Amino acid sequence: MPPILKATSVLAAVAALSWGLAGQAAAEEVAQATLYGDMSAVTQTMLDHAGHDGNNFLMTNGNYSQTRFYPNRQINTMNVKHLHPAWIFQTEVKDTMETTPLVVNGVMYVTTAFDHVYALNARTGEELWHYKHKLGPISIYCCGPNNRGVAAYEDMVYLATLDSKLVALNAKTGKVAWQSDIADPELGYSETMAPTAVNGKILVGTNGGEYGIRGFVKAFDAATGKLLWTFNTTPENSVGVWATKDASGQDLHRDIAAEKAALAKGGDPYKTLGGGVWQNPAVDLKANRIYFVVGNPSPDLDGSNRPGDNLYTDSLVSVDLDTGKYACHFQYVPHDVWDVDSVSPAVLVDALDNDGKLVPAVLHGGKTGFVYVNDRRDCHLIRVSEAMVPQENMYALPTHGVGTRMLPGANGGVEWSPMTVDPALSLAYAINLHQPMHYSVKEAAYPAGKLWLGGAFSVIPTEQQWGNVTAVDYNTGRIRWQVKTAQPMIGGIMATAGGLVFTGEGNGLFKAYDSQTGSQLWQFQAGAGVNAPPAAYSVDGKEYIVVGAGGNAQLDYKRGNAIISFTLN
Amino acid sequence: MMSARLALAALLVAGLGASSARADAPPEKAALCAACHGEKGVPIDTSIPVIWGQNEGYIYIQLRDFSRGARQNEQMAAIVAQLSRDEMKALAAYFSTLQWPNLLQKSAPDDVVRRAETVAASAQCPQCHQGGYIGASVQPRLADQSETYLLATMRAFRSGARANNDWMTALLKTYSDDDLKVLAAYLAGL
Repeated sequence: MPPILKATSVLAAVAALSWGLAGQAAAEEVAQATLYGDMSAVTQTMLDHAGHDGNNFLMTNGNYSQTRFYPNRQINTMNVKHLHPAWIFQTEVKDTMETTPLVVNGVMYVTTAFDHVYALNARTGEELWHYKHKLGPISIYCCGPNNRGVAAYEDMVYLATLDSKLVALNAKTGKVAWQSDIADPELGYSETMAPTAVNGKILVGTNGGEYGIRGFVKAFDAATGKLLWTFNTTPENSVGVWATKDASGQDLHRDIAAEKAALAKGGDPYKTLGGGVWQNPAVDLKANRIYFVVGNPSPDLDGSNRPGDNLYTDSLVSVDLDTGKYACHFQYVPHDVWDVDSVSPAVLVDALDNDGKLVPAVLHGGKTGFVYVNDRRDCHLIRVSEAMVPQENMYALPTHGVGTRMLPGANGGVEWSPMTVDPALSLAYAINLHQPMHYSVKEAAYPAGKLWLGGAFSVIPTEQQWGNVTAVDYNTGRIRWQVKTAQPMIGGIMATAGGLVFTGEGNGLFKAYDSQTGSQLWQFQAGAGVNAPPAAYSVDGKEYIVVGAGGNAQLDYKRGNAIISFTLN
Repeated sequence: MMSARLALAALLVAGLGASSARADAPPEKAALCAACHGEKGVPIDTSIPVIWGQNEGYIYIQLRDFSRGARQNEQMAAIVAQLSRDEMKALAAYFSTLQWPNLLQKSAPDDVVRRAETVAASAQCPQCHQGGYIGASVQPRLADQSETYLLATMRAFRSGARANNDWMTALLKTYSDDDLKVLAAYLAGL
C-alpha cells in the first residue's frame, strides 16, 4: 500500500475510533461504499446539472459545456492565502500525470500513467481500491504513457487505455465489468483521454495522428460495451476547398498546383490521414449535438503525399449525439504541415456575434496561440482572439536539413491543456507555451503503425522558453490580462466562483490567481511538476481544491506521484 | 519474489537444470539468442545490444521488422527466418522479464552530461524514451545500453542504413556527430 502523509493517517485513525464498536465488517462496507450510504450512482440528471453541483466534480472538464467552472465560493480571493494541504495521496506510479480527479459524493477517482485507477476517500485520501490495467505487449503512443482520467456513469467508471481498450469498472469495487476493443494498437491507435458519459453512451476519440491512423469518435453502450456508432474524422473526400489561408487570414504558402498533381497521382489520402481526437467532446444537450476538435494530419510535417485541405484535421466538428452523423465543421488550419493542430477541448458558451447579438458559441484554444470563437449552429467563425504568444515567420514551410524557425513551436500556444471559462466575466483562461522550434521536412512513406512525422520539430536550445496564463474576453477577442511563467505551461486550469483561477507549472508550483486581474494570491510547491488540470469539490460543507503532481513526459518536467487535496483550516 | 524468479530464469538460460515442463521456462528458441546476446545477458561483443530486460513491445517489433526486411542484419535475418509470429512474441515476453545486466560502463563526466542533456532536451528524447530513458512497450530502453551499440545505431539511423524508423532518421539528421557521441556516452553511463 502506498504511503500516505502522516496527517492522513491521523485522520484515518480518528475516523476508525469514531466507528467504535461498529466492527471491521461494517468499516469495510463503508469503505467500499460511499460516505453517505448508497449514493455512488451517477445519474444522467446529476450529469445534466454538473455545472451547478458544488459537491461533486462529475466529469473531466467539470460539465458538458466543459467550462471547468466550479460554482462554490468558500475558497475565495479573501482567504485563499490560507489554503493548505488537507491530504496527499501517493500513487504507485511515479510518472507523467495528466489526470483530472472526479468526485462523486465523497469518493474520488484518479488515474496515473500506464492506466492505473484509484478510488479514494475524498475527505482523507484513504485508498478504497486500486485497479491496474494489464497493458498488452504493443502500446504505441507519441507523448508519454499518459492518462487523463475516468468517466463516471450510473454505478461504473470508465477507463480508456494506452492499448486502445475501453474498460468499465464497478465504481464500488474496481472490478472489471466489461472490456471492449476500441482500435488496433499495432497500427498506432492509443487512448489517453478520459471518456465522456452521456445518455447511456460512452464517447471516446483516439490518439494516433503521429502514426497514420484514420481518426474517429466512437460511442459505446455504457451498460454492455457494444459499439453504437463511429464518426471517422477523415471523410472519403478530404480535399476541401483548397484554402490558401488559415482562420486568421494568414497565408499558408501552399503549392496548390503540386497538390492537385499529387491528388491525381495518388488519390485521396483519407485512409492514413491521421486526425486524432485527443480530448473530450462538449455536449450541447438542447441541440443533441457534440462538439470536438480534431488533431493534425499524418504525417505531421510532410504534406506532399496528402494533397488537399485534409478535412477534418485541425478542425472543429459537430455531430449528432444519437447517430454520430455530421452536422457542421470549421477548419482552423487547412493542410497543416507544422502540427499546430487542435487539441485543447472545445468549450460551449453564449457569446456576442459581430452584430452584438448573443449566440450559442464554441471556443477552442489553438496551438497557434489563438482562441477561436465559432457559432455553434453552423460552426462558422465569429472571431479569432489576439495571439496569446509570439507568432513569428508564421506558416513558413518546413525545409530540409536543420529546418525553418517558426513561432509558436509545435507544442503551442495551447497544447492539450483544457481552458476554463468564467461566464460572468466573459473570460476564457488558457495556459500557453513559448518554445521556439525548427521545423524540418523529410518525405517518408506510410510506415504501418510507426511514428510518421515526415520530418522533425526540434526545440532551439539557445533560445529562451517560457509560458503564460492568459485571460481572453471571448466577446471581443481581446486579452484582458496575461501573466508570464518561468517555463512553458502544460496541464490545465480551473476557474471558481470564488474569483480564482488555479493552475500549476512544471517547476512544481501550483498557483491561484485573481480571475479578474491576474494577481497571484497563493502558491504551493508540490515537489514535482503540476501538469494536470485541477478540480474542486465539497464534503461535509468544506470545499477542497485537488490536483495531481506527477510531472510531464512531453516537456520532461520532474516526475512525481502525488494527488494533493487542499482546503482551509 | 521477483528476484528469485529472475535468478531461476538466469539459471535456466545458462542451461543449468532447464526443464521444459516448467510453465515459466524460456521459449525453446531463446538458446539461439544467447549465442550473441550472452548467456547471462551480457552480449559477447559491444556492438551487440543488451536484450535482457529490454521492453517487450520493442523486442517484438524489431523481430517483426527483421523478418519483413525493414531492419537489415545478416545474422538476425537468418535467425528470424526460423521464427513464427507467436515465437517472436514469446521471446519478447520472455526477455523483457529478465534483469538488465551490469555492463560495467562508467557514468559520463559532468561536461558531457550537461551537453548531452541539452541535446536530448532539444530533440525531446524523453518524450518517447521516458524519464530515465527506460522506455516502455515499443520504445526501447537506452539507459545503460552498450555505448558502442548506441553510437553505431544513432549513426545508422542518421545515414538511413537503419531504415525501420524514418522519424529517428529525420531527427538525427539535425544533429552533429559530436552530439551523437555525447548522447551515447551519457546514455550508456546512466
